[in-house]
Amino acid sequence: MMNQTLDRPQRTSRGRTPKDNIRTVNSSTFQPLVLEGKGPIVVEFMSYSCSHCGAMELVLQQVAETVKSKEKFFRVNTAMEPELAGNFKIQGTPTLIMFLNGREVGRVEGPSPTISSVLTAVTQPFES
Amino acid sequence: MMPISTNAEAIQNKPILLFDDECGVCRRIAHWVQNSAGSISGETSIIVRPVGEDPDALRTLNPGLEIWDAYATIHVLMPDGSMRLGGEAIAEVLRNLPNTKWFAWSFAISIFGFQPFQMMLNVAYVILADVRPIFGCESCGTPNFWVRPFVWMIKGVKSIFGESSRPNLTPHFTSLSPPRRRSPPGL
Repeated sequence: MMNQTLDRPQRTSRGRTPKDNIRTVNSSTFQPLVLEGKGPIVVEFMSYSCSHCGAMELVLQQVAETVKSKEKFFRVNTAMEPELAGNFKIQGTPTLIMFLNGREVGRVEGPSPTISSVLTAVTQPFES
Repeated sequence: MMPISTNAEAIQNKPILLFDDECGVCRRIAHWVQNSAGSISGETSIIVRPVGEDPDALRTLNPGLEIWDAYATIHVLMPDGSMRLGGEAIAEVLRNLPNTKWFAWSFAISIFGFQPFQMMLNVAYVILADVRPIFGCESCGTPNFWVRPFVWMIKGVKSIFGESSRPNLTPHFTSLSPPRRRSPPGL
């Protein structure tokens, strides 16, 4: 279990993490990068106008940094890619879908924006 | 989703107000600013733009602007490349509107280093930003603790009168809404 200090994401002066550990994919790059990708992959379906996604962003960046040697992280902007969101029956944002060798193995809707809960959400499906 | 125009001439000469087009309160205020900014000759004193969903388009307006920050706080992008945030952005908007510029000078008044009217405006902005969920802002996220009783009360009253709202599955989840026209007319 993470301690309280590690559970709080570190912010820059303007409130965002300096490095983007999550690559944005769209309908044309989703197939080669996610569905044909090897190993554990986490895709966040999000929208910039969703404040819960804003709260998740810092947390997910830190989690992605922590597990970058084991898992790849991508994001899909549902406002720009409504068809892709529809294909995966996304009900709202943020939704995390875990893929293993192109197959969905787990899904979490609206996880609590803390490092420990997001870390659990994105690692547990690959352990079972 | 409305793309953000990068009309270079307009950007160089006019301040740009960025607003959250998912928030009904912000849309109404932006609409009012848009109407107030027009003149008889058709020129506007301030450009009103939705934040949108494209981080790169925002960076073309100002390279230092992060889309998350633009959604978190109201921004006015100045022609000189600087940015006004929160209460200072509101003051800048009021200074640029023909109907309000007569009193907007008061925000610059400084008494022993304090700007009392600007400080009042800053507080007013923070309160307005907090109470937006009361007026039905679904995109504003989890309301602050002091606003929650009011939000629950309004939801209770609405349910009594038969207006049901779909509950979210978790407190940290924004249900997808059907596509709709998000920008004020004429933008």
